Amino acid sequence: MRLILLNLLRSPLRTGLTVFGTAVALTLFCLLEALINAFNVGVDMSSASRLVVMHKESLTLLLPESHLPVIRHMDGIRRAASGVWFGGLYEEPLPGGQKREEFFAQFAVDLDNYLAVYPEILIPHEQMEALRADRRGCVIGDELARRLSKKVGDRIALRGLIWAKPDGSPWEFNVRAIYTCTQTFDRTMMFFHYRYLDETRQFAKGMVGWYVAELTDPNRCAEVAARIDERFANSPFETKTMNEKAFNMQFLSMMGNLELLFRFIGTVVILTMLLISANTMMMAGRERTREMAVLKALGFSDGYVFYVLIGEALAVAVLGAILGAGGTWLGINVLEWNPKRDFFPIFRVPDVSLLAALLIALATGILSGLVPAVAGLRLKAAEALRAV
Amino acid sequence: MPAIVKLEDVTKIYTKGENEILTLDHISLEIEEGDFVALMGPSGSGKTTLLNLLGGLDTPTSGRVTVCGQDLSDLTSRELARWRADHVGFVFQSFNLLPVLTALQNVELPLTLQALDAGERRAHAVAALRVVGLEDRMDHRPGELSGGQEQRVAIARALVTDPRLVMADEPTGDLDAHSAHEVLGLVEQLNEELGKTIIIVTHDPHAAQFARRELHLEKGVLSRERTR
Repeated sequence: MRLILLNLLRSPLRTGLTVFGTAVALTLFCLLEALINAFNVGVDMSSASRLVVMHKESLTLLLPESHLPVIRHMDGIRRAASGVWFGGLYEEPLPGGQKREEFFAQFAVDLDNYLAVYPEILIPHEQMEALRADRRGCVIGDELARRLSKKVGDRIALRGLIWAKPDGSPWEFNVRAIYTCTQTFDRTMMFFHYRYLDETRQFAKGMVGWYVAELTDPNRCAEVAARIDERFANSPFETKTMNEKAFNMQFLSMMGNLELLFRFIGTVVILTMLLISANTMMMAGRERTREMAVLKALGFSDGYVFYVLIGEALAVAVLGAILGAGGTWLGINVLEWNPKRDFFPIFRVPDVSLLAALLIALATGILSGLVPAVAGLRLKAAEALRAV
Repeated sequence: MPAIVKLEDVTKIYTKGENEILTLDHISLEIEEGDFVALMGPSGSGKTTLLNLLGGLDTPTSGRVTVCGQDLSDLTSRELARWRADHVGFVFQSFNLLPVLTALQNVELPLTLQALDAGERRAHAVAALRVVGLEDRMDHRPGELSGGQEQRVAIARALVTDPRLVMADEPTGDLDAHSAHEVLGLVEQLNEELGKTIIIVTHDPHAAQFARRELHLEKGVLSRERTR
C-alpha cells in the first residue's frame, strides 16, 4: 500500500491531472444523472391508481367542466377532480426599484376533490378549513414556502402570463396552508380555488385543463380509460385518457428524448475518461519496467507486481470518484445546490447513480490498470534487467 | 566445504524470431559455500545469463541447476520468487533502488516478505545499513546519495535477509575508481566476516582480484579458471 501511494506521489502533477480528469468526468456524469432524475421525478411519483383525462388533440386545449360529473359517476371511478395550469410569475419588489421574479407550478383546482385524489399531500386540518373558507386562499409546498420566505397568513401576488384579470392587476392569494408530503413529491407547487380563477378570468370560462380520477381498482386502468374516451367520442370535446405515469411521460416527451441525449453525453465522457486514464497508467507502467523486474528479483511474486500496478490505477480512480461523485453529492444532495430551482423542484443525484459512478470509477481503474498490470505479471525479470 | 552451487550440463538457448542463440553450452560447475567467485569474460559470453540461472531469475534450456540444496527446475515461478527472497541477495550494476523510497525503506523492502513486524524490519534494516556504513543516511532517497552510497544501500538490501548467497552483476560498472574500491572492499568483508558466498560478474580485472576464484567464459563455455 505504501509503495502504491509513494508511486502516485512520484509525479504529483500527472497523478493530480489524472485524478482531476476523472473527477470532472464523474461530476459531469452525476450532474447528468441529477438532470435525468429531475425530468423523470414526475414519472416516478406517478400513482398506478390515478387516471388523467386530457383533450384528445393536445394538453394545451381545454375541456368543459361538464365532463367532470360524468366521469365522477362512471363505474370504476372512486373520485375525480379538475385542474387548470395557471402559469403566473411571482414578483416581489426589492429595494432599489428592482424586482425578484420566481416561477413555480401553480394549479387552479377544485381543492377538496383534487387534494383527496392526492393523499401524498398532507395539510393540517385547521389549515385546510381556513383554505376552504377563503376564496383567494392557496396552499403551497413547504419547500416553496421556504424559498419565498412565506408562512401561513402571508400574501402572494402573481402576474398572470395566461390568465389576465380585467383590470390587469396581479392575482392576489392568501397563503392559508402549507403542505408536506408522505413521500418524494414535488414540494414547490401551489394550488388554489378554481372558482377564483374562473370567476375572474376574461375568457374560457367553465373550461379546465384536465381531469384526474382515482380508480377503485388499479387493475381496471385500461378498461376504465377506454370507457371514458368512448363516452366522449364524437363530442365537441373528445378526450384521451391514460394513467398518470403515461401522462407524465407524454409531458416529458414534449421536450424530446433528453434522457437519450444525456446518456449519450455521459457515455462519451466516461469513454474519454477511460482512454485518458488508461494512457496515463500505461505510461506509468512502462516507465517502471526496471523497478518491477527488481521487485521480482528480490523475491516479490508476479501477483504482487500485478496488484501494485492495478492498485495505483484503482487509487487514482477512487480518488477521482471521491472528488467527483462525492463532491457532487455534497453540493447537490447535502448543500442543495440547484441550477434552476423553479424548473427543477426536485434536483438530487439518486443513490443508484452515485453507486454507478463509484462502479464506473472502479471499472475504469481496473481496465486502465489491466494492460500495465498484465505486462508486469508477464515480465521476465532476467530479460527486463538485461534490456534496460 | 560442501557445494552451495551445482550446475550439471547446463545449456541455455534464447530464441529471437527464427534464430536460436546458444548462450551457455553444456556447462558444469560447482561453487563451495563461503567462496568468492568472479565470473569474467567478454560481452555476450554468457556471464549474466549464468548469474540469472544461479539466482533463479531464468531457467536453463537443459541441464540441472542446484543452489542451496534446491533443484531450481522443480520450483514454480511463485516458489522460485519465494526461494530467492529466502536464499539470494542481488546487487545490480545500476543499483536499482526504488527512487520513491528512502534508503531505509529500500533496505526494508525484501523484509516485507518475511514474517517480521514493523519494528523488527526496521531494526534489521538499520543493522544492514550500519554494516555498509550508511546508518546516518538512512532517511535519504536514492537521488540524494552518491553512486557509491547507492550501491552500498543496494548491498545492504541484498544482505538484510541474511541470504547464504550474494550475487552481483557488474557491481562497480557505474562507479568511479574510489567508490568501486570501497564497494569491492565491502563485498570482500561480507565474504570474509559474514561468511557469505559471493558471485560477481565483472569485466574489471581489478574487481576480479578481490575474488578467490576466477571463472572465464567465452561463447558460453567455461574457458579457464584461476584460483588464488
